[in-house]
Amino acid sequence: MSAQGEKIRRFTKRQIINHWLMLITFVGLVITGMPQKFAETAWAKGIVLIIGGVERVRFIHHVLGTIMAVQLVWHLLEGIWLHLVRRLDMPMVPRIADVKDFIHQIKFNIGMEKHPPRMDRYGFAEKLEYLALVWGTAVMVLTGLLLLYPVKWSSLFPGEVILAAKAAHGGEAILAFLSVLTWHVYFVHFRHWNTAIFTGLLDAEAYAEEHPVELARLRRGEEAAPRALKAWRVAVFLAVSAATIVAVAALYWWMRNSGATLETIKVPGLS
Amino acid sequence: MQSKRAASAAYLLAVAAGFLFCGQGLAADDSACIECHGSKGSITDAAGAMDLKLTPEKLDRLVVLPAETGTVHAGIACLDCHPKAGDIPHPEGMLNDNPCAACHDDALKQVNGSAHKDPAGGEHLRGTCWACHGAHDVRPPNDPKSTLAPVNVASRCLACHAKRDYLIGVHGHGVQLAGLDVAATCVSCHGGHDILAPSETGSRVARRNISFTCGKCHGRVSEAYRKSVHGAALTANDNPDVPTCVDCHQAHGTVDPLLPQFRLASPAICGRCHNNPKIMDKYGISTAVYSTYVADFHGTTAELFRAATPDQPLNQAVCYDCHGYHDVESVTTAGKAQIQERLLARCQACHPQATTKFLSAWTQHYIPSRTKYSMIYWVKVFYQLVIPGTIGFFLMYIAVDVWGRRRHRRTS
Repeated sequence: MSAQGEKIRRFTKRQIINHWLMLITFVGLVITGMPQKFAETAWAKGIVLIIGGVERVRFIHHVLGTIMAVQLVWHLLEGIWLHLVRRLDMPMVPRIADVKDFIHQIKFNIGMEKHPPRMDRYGFAEKLEYLALVWGTAVMVLTGLLLLYPVKWSSLFPGEVILAAKAAHGGEAILAFLSVLTWHVYFVHFRHWNTAIFTGLLDAEAYAEEHPVELARLRRGEEAAPRALKAWRVAVFLAVSAATIVAVAALYWWMRNSGATLETIKVPGLS
Repeated sequence: MQSKRAASAAYLLAVAAGFLFCGQGLAADDSACIECHGSKGSITDAAGAMDLKLTPEKLDRLVVLPAETGTVHAGIACLDCHPKAGDIPHPEGMLNDNPCAACHDDALKQVNGSAHKDPAGGEHLRGTCWACHGAHDVRPPNDPKSTLAPVNVASRCLACHAKRDYLIGVHGHGVQLAGLDVAATCVSCHGGHDILAPSETGSRVARRNISFTCGKCHGRVSEAYRKSVHGAALTANDNPDVPTCVDCHQAHGTVDPLLPQFRLASPAICGRCHNNPKIMDKYGISTAVYSTYVADFHGTTAELFRAATPDQPLNQAVCYDCHGYHDVESVTTAGKAQIQERLLARCQACHPQATTKFLSAWTQHYIPSRTKYSMIYWVKVFYQLVIPGTIGFFLMYIAVDVWGRRRHRRTS
């Protein structure tokens, strides 16, 4: 079949950078977030001490959170560009076939099927994680914004919503952290030592095992090519992008600059 | 040997002659006493002449310098206090009788009723007069050289009592470093001759009386305290659970409440009692007040801030920013409507834009439940189900996958 040690390109440079960004922001957010959730514990205080104070912990958390939020918006715009303008497929979107693959895999594992499921570019495990990531990031960004400007948001909602957002922010954080620790670590560290997201390349052998359908298509040279740009699609995309940027800027302005925000008062007796 | 004996005999004769010649009249200027006790050299000679083997420390103590100006006893002769001193060599037990009693019997009466009395009921006081007042250099307390001048009091008491934290407390600092003679010394709170253990009802530092003792200087504050839920319970029925001044501020190592350390430590101070179900259950008060505070934004910040920078000023709310301190009031006496109104004012002190809607962003120490703050409760329940559900599903799938792959590898 394939030559020994043959590598096949799986990810583009942009995807590699994207993953690095996600990796750094995610790990950083966990490290700076968990001590805030478990403030009473000794390890939380230790982390705060190492980083150099709770204000710096929060500052780093806010900066990384902002990067992650920008990534989320960027990703949605990127999706629109690739799918609606360049007219490419959305290989990450789950389909009925993924449920079937999942059941098939379990049947194979317990010996009810002779062959494992033949999966395309992204298997059900990757799609599940992708969905969890997008959903989780959206929840974290929205609840995080509520926590960042609680007084401002409570002019729209009752204050209880802020606390519910806080509970969700913490719960979702634990869920995301544990998911990465189990699902992600198992599939890319234990099942295979898979470095494709850092190098962009995957062993042909692993490719054949995990993505046989896509590999066969690649071998046949049937790579999907983007369609020619159409002016009206580009125009709509630009309009949507501009509207998004304006909306984000307006939200930012409303939260920060319209009326008073959190004022830092002086401690009585101290200058 | 013989010559030495002859010398000492001659010496004793000379001294005796001195007494004889001088007679009563000259005893008053004490010159005969000073002849031996005036310097280390002369007392050493005298001891040697009498064949007494005394340690250098003992010799040091026997040196009595001629009274300087300003001592209150300048007009009193040595023999007035040491009547046996007329005999040479001096008999044993020169100090067995309290020489002060003759003039100061009123003070002695007070000491005999105090914690410093002789536990056996005799005359051996636990704290002798001269242990505090000095022996030969007694001066009025307003004389800075007095052993009981404000700046010297602590060193007298600390000679026996292990309360050195007074020196680093705000009062000790005031007296010792800032030169504030009006700041409290030991005797300001404990009294002097009539000092009593805190366990005695009449003690100035008995629980009931502490606020009045502190109130001598901190009048308005102690009045506010006595009207508070804590102070009123103490006054009304000697409640053993409520704090007095010293429970929050410490009796000796009193921390300046304006220092960041005090502010940062204050939630833990309140928590000492309010975290303790043994105390709180009696009054139906929740012990979750501390944990709910730390779980909330202010408490989280305060807790983590203290861990890294315990001496830096913190601008997050601590217990007393909302509850007050000396005038702490029970939430049940104020009524719900008034609580809400006051709470908003407290919030707005730091968050000027806060509205009534903002108030529910604080659960008022309640743990969210189906009936109270139910939205938060249901979000928590959701994650309590979803987290173990999801992770459990992941782990189960992974277990099956690991098992299946091992089986296939073995068969292939």
